[in-house]
Amino acid sequence: MNARVDLPPAREVCSTTTRRLIADGALLVDVRERAEIDRLAFDLSDLVIMPLSELELRVAELPRDRALVLACQSGPRSLKATYFLMRQGYEHVASLEGGIFKWASKGFPIKGPPVATTTPAAEAVSAGECGSDSGASGKCGSSGAGTGASACCETAATASGKCC
Amino acid sequence: MDIKVLGTGCANCKSTIALIEQVAKAKGVPVTLTKVEELRDIMGYGVMSTPGVVIDGKVVHAGGVPNRDKIEHWLSA
Repeated sequence: MNARVDLPPAREVCSTTTRRLIADGALLVDVRERAEIDRLAFDLSDLVIMPLSELELRVAELPRDRALVLACQSGPRSLKATYFLMRQGYEHVASLEGGIFKWASKGFPIKGPPVATTTPAAEAVSAGECGSDSGASGKCGSSGAGTGASACCETAATASGKCC
Repeated sequence: MDIKVLGTGCANCKSTIALIEQVAKAKGVPVTLTKVEELRDIMGYGVMSTPGVVIDGKVVHAGGVPNRDKIEHWLSA
């Protein structure tokens, strides 16, 4: 099977940066499962739905010549997917820190009912698999509920927690 | 024999480690068992489903607790 590849820390971007990247041509890839997306979705004209459970089989559908921002509910699964794509040789990939919950809390476009502004305590790395919220270090530390002009942040996954 | 168990610390990962230890002891095979818990390191092996097992640098298993027969086979090789 697979030999080890020494991956660099993944790039994690906040909602504001994600929005800017999308405006600049990046493609958002939602890796949540379809039932989750039925409940709450990104309201974007151009995005790809590729649940983490389908990623290994469908990875070739993702463009290599376009920046990709991967998103899930609160961050851990998209971080995992980001590392997976990095290992597949994708160079311009990032993970949306805080996932759709953070995106929605900033007032960015969603389809579905309003969501609480706090992210859940834990999101399993993958449905039906072991693992706790391993992407939880270095959270965005917004103090309020989406008021105030938000500063952007961008950090490597393993960097100590500086964020917006 | 160098064995690494890849996983973020779940019950299945712990069971996998315990089972490998048991079988290695029963067979009298000396093993160096290491846990790999960092997501980046796990994904460096390309393992999407955990627990994963790496023996002497090669991924031999991914997803779920391996059964005893499988572990015995690894340790006989």
